[in-house]
Amino acid sequence: MVLTEITHKPLENLPMDDSRTDDGAELIFHGRVRDEEEGEKIIGLDYEHYPEMAESELQKLGEETAERFDIHDLFCRHRVGRIAVGEASLRVVIWSRHRKEALQAMDWFIVELKKRVPIWKWGVTADGRRFPSHCRHE
Amino acid sequence: MAETITIHVRCFSHVKQALQTDMLDLQLPAGATTAQAEQRLREMAGGQLDTVPFRIALNKNFINTEQALNENDELALIPPVQGG
Repeated sequence: MVLTEITHKPLENLPMDDSRTDDGAELIFHGRVRDEEEGEKIIGLDYEHYPEMAESELQKLGEETAERFDIHDLFCRHRVGRIAVGEASLRVVIWSRHRKEALQAMDWFIVELKKRVPIWKWGVTADGRRFPSHCRHE
Repeated sequence: MAETITIHVRCFSHVKQALQTDMLDLQLPAGATTAQAEQRLREMAGGQLDTVPFRIALNKNFINTEQALNENDELALIPPVQGG
């Protein structure tokens, strides 16, 4: 099962699932906002997205990940809007029988997310200035 | 047959910054293509987008080849994305 969501709300912890008996790996990734963007100190990032298209591209990507790798489930929440330094912008959980598949799937999913889901970042400085990020770390 | 069509352009990131708006309507000759719309938008940006590579989204789907536009289509120039 693949569940993805884009939300303006702060990301809550995804619940642990102790009922799974056939998944040896539960891999969790949290992406957080750093205090520096483009070499400048920032207080947060404004995440901008293309409504409807970003949601559909994220879901398609999750489904493609589940087809490409031997995983059971993938859940992803991506926050948009103003996100303060230190807060989470992305939470992903992947369950699989063995860890290797989950690790490979997680890396591929995040790399592809940064290539194809229409979400952009604007750095926000303490004096309120906003500037578009050119950051494209894979 | 109408001589012109109107399409709706969604602007994000560098495009929004260059054109100073998040949405605009663009009037084009009937039969115009996505490439012609992109060229017109780059011209409107006065050179600010000359070095920015784009993918094109038409009606909220990426396209990989030039396509003819229809009345009320929604077009977006998608600059490099930065989610995560």
